[in-house]
Parts: sequence; C-alpha cells; structure tokens
Amino acid sequence: MSWLLRRNMLPLHSNSLARRPFASPLPLPPASLPSPRETHIWYVVPDELKDASLLYQYMELLSPCERQSVLRMNGERLQKGALLARALVRTTLARYTDGRLSPKSFKFQKNRFGKPEVEWDKYDLWAPPPLQFNISHTSTMIACGVTLDLPIGIDIEEKQRKTSNNILSLAHRYFSPVEVAYLKTLADPECRQSEFIRLWTLKEAYVKALGRGFSGTPFKDFTIRLEASNSKQVTGELKSDAPSIVVEAVDDPGILMNRWQFALFELNNSHYTAVCMERDVKNPADGENNSLKLEVWRTLPFVEDECVTETDAVKNIIR
Amino acid sequence: MRKRGTPPNRALRARRPPEISPTVRSLPLAFSLSSDRSMASISGTVTATSVRPRLTSRAPVVKGFSGLKSVSFSIQRNGFPSVRLQAAPRRLRFQVSCAAKPETVQKVCEIVKKQLALSDDTPVSGESKFSTLGADSLDTVEIVMGLEEAFGISVEEESAQSITTVQDAADLIEKLVEAKSS
Repeated sequence: MSWLLRRNMLPLHSNSLARRPFASPLPLPPASLPSPRETHIWYVVPDELKDASLLYQYMELLSPCERQSVLRMNGERLQKGALLARALVRTTLARYTDGRLSPKSFKFQKNRFGKPEVEWDKYDLWAPPPLQFNISHTSTMIACGVTLDLPIGIDIEEKQRKTSNNILSLAHRYFSPVEVAYLKTLADPECRQSEFIRLWTLKEAYVKALGRGFSGTPFKDFTIRLEASNSKQVTGELKSDAPSIVVEAVDDPGILMNRWQFALFELNNSHYTAVCMERDVKNPADGENNSLKLEVWRTLPFVEDECVTETDAVKNIIR
Repeated sequence: MRKRGTPPNRALRARRPPEISPTVRSLPLAFSLSSDRSMASISGTVTATSVRPRLTSRAPVVKGFSGLKSVSFSIQRNGFPSVRLQAAPRRLRFQVSCAAKPETVQKVCEIVKKQLALSDDTPVSGESKFSTLGADSLDTVEIVMGLEEAFGISVEEESAQSITTVQDAADLIEKLVEAKSS
C-alpha cells in the first residue's frame, strides 16, 4: 500500500499523547460508506474538549489558509469553534477513505455559488468515494453531515435559543405566508418559539442542500410543512401514514418538490437538527420506506467515537 | 462590487503612478470557514483594493496629497523618462467617497454587540466582519431587523446579502436614509 498516503497516520499509545503534544494522532477508525438514502452525522461538543494539546493536533490538520481564518475569529471561544469545525470536516471525511487519505490531505473548493465541496485528487489505483458534506455549528455543538454523492444540507440550533425580535415579526419578514399562518395558530409563546426555530433549521438545511446560498433561494419563496403521506400497500398490509416534511414553492403551491427529503430531530437533548438531502432517484426503493435514514455519531476526533443512532441522543425524529 | 479608494481621476490612472502599494483585502465568502454561519452574506468573492500612494524621496512633492498638483520625476540614470501626473482635484482622492459617518458606524457596532451578546470590551469596528464576530444567519437577519428599527429604513433582501462588515451595514443605512429623505 506504499503508493497511498499514510504519512500522517502513525499509531500511538493514548497515554503518550499527554507527554508528546505534537505527536501524530491515533488513526481514525474507518467507517462504512453511507448507503443511498442515508445521511451520516458526526457531531462534536466543544465543551467536552478538555485537553489543550488536542487543539494543537487539530491545528496541524488544517491548511495554512484555514489556520489564518481560524485565527481571524474574534476571541478564543470562536477560534476554538472554527478550529473544531475544520477538524471535524477533515477527520469525518477521512474515515470513509479506508485509511487511504489522512485528514490533512483533503483539499476543498467552492462551487460556483460558494458552497464548499471536496476537491478530489486523481489516484492511479483507487477511486475516492464521491462524498458530499455540509456543516453547521452553534457555540455548543458542531455537526457534519455526509452522504454518498447526494447534495446535503444540515442546520442545528440550540433548543433554548431566544430571538431578540418578536417571533411573528421575524416570520412575517422572512417566512412564507403558509408558515406564518401556521405559527399564528400556536397560542403558547414557548411552543411558537420552538416551532419557529425548528422551521428555521429546516429552511436553512434546504437552502444549504441546494447550495445556491441565501440570495439564490430566498426564505420567502418556499414553504416547508408537513404533508400526510400516502400509505403504501406492501404485501397486502397498509403502512402507517405518518406525515412527512415537504417543500413547495410559494408561487407553485401544491407542486411538491419531491427531489428533496428531510429529517428533523433533537440531538443530544440540546439542539434541533434539520437535514435535507436530495432523493436518490438512481436507486429507487421498491416498496420499502423511502424516507431519509440517519446514522449519528458523537465524536471527539482521535479520542472517542460513539454511535448514538438508537439512543436518547437522537429523538423525536420527523421525516 | 465596489472598489474602495479607487481614484476617480481616470487620467491619473492611465499614467504610471509613483510607488503605489496596493493592499488587497478579501471580503468573506459565502460559506466561510465558520461554516454556515455567514449564510446571509452570499456574494461570491469580492476583492477590495485600497490604494495608498507612496511617493519616493526622489520625487519632489509640491504639496501634500490633498493638494497634489503635479509630481515630476527627474530622468534616472538608467534612462527612464520622467513621469508627469495630471493636476488632481483638491480634495483627498484616495478615500472612499461615500463612507458612512462615524456616528452611524458606532450605532451599528452597538446593535451588533447587543445581538451577539458581546462584552463591552470586545473590539468591534467598521472593519469587523459579522462572521468573525460569530454571527450566524439568524443573527444576521436579526441585526438587519434591529438596524431597520433603529434607523427607520427598510432593507431589501438583495442588499442585506451584500452586507458582510459593520462598515457595509453603515454605508447601506446612510444610503437608504438619504434616499428616504430625498
């Protein structure tokens, strides 16, 4: 395997990390690629990072340009967040290359609208997986979503987030009429606030999945709502018709943009999380549930990974 | 796209300027490295060039920059021809002609600090970028709404997307306030 890049992947005993702060990190456990309708989410909780030497290790993974950007952030807390975000993207992507690519070796470019994507090198005897990713962060969590060859957008917001402006004022200004009407039906202010935040994350995730940016996809031009789905008949049984999240253009109500599928859930009991992914039309599901599948890991790169998919850390999932 | 400090005198630009040292500053991109947070500031790459002229000691300066009439270089040993610059307008040429008043910038800084819950001693100036201050897209729209309320203006979505620094916001506010009162 000598032609493959393994320079930055030297194994080390974990107890020597403290004594040798600039030593190479532990190798990342390889992860299986996401399947066609799957989004993998890796998230970091910055407060869990207690070891300062880890920050140096993460810094080593970044390109010079990324390092400069991190250092330009205003204050230590924001710098740490920016650093963790880049480290999370790089380490997450590296996991899916079966040890062939180190986190440091990744290069990034922006599409013509400014959305970051991986710039893959050409290799002689190996085709890198066509991974697509998107990140989102708050001061208390950073999340990275990965798919195999499907556009993805992810957005997280703290559940407790309060807005300075009145919820309905914000909604009138930025949301579609259908969404405003929905929020108005909620009498309880706390309920209205949380629904606003959840709707915001869904709209953000959609715009980010499209990759055309805020101005390319103004919030006011589309509605995201729940739609009662048609029950599917599978071997004579009726499947439950749980409502699904759909998106439609304000100018074209009733024409659902079926190309996009969503998931909305609570992460780590602290954040509302929305994922928007393009539906995989190349691999249509025959008769089975066509909704977005999730696999979620909590991570502190090079220290600890924990799959939390079936746990309490991922709950209240709506798709 | 706006080039700051571009000299308005086209005749001056056509001639070779003496010892110009351009400083190029890149404004934040749509998806900056603080990830999605600068979602609202989608405008692609914008490069702002501020040009500060520096005259060599060999060039006799008739007056300061503000009253620069002409500068001529003596013929150098290696035979470069002398360069004469056109007479320039009396006002200071290498400044942004439509920069917002300091009070406006100050007010914007206050609103931004409040929205982002920054401490009083956090340095925020005209050059501060919303993304580096930690503003995400929801913060940015809240800041825009706060500015609309404070200044009695209405900001178009397209204009809001081009705001990436405090200075951008202040400049836009003054433009809108002026348009409103005219």
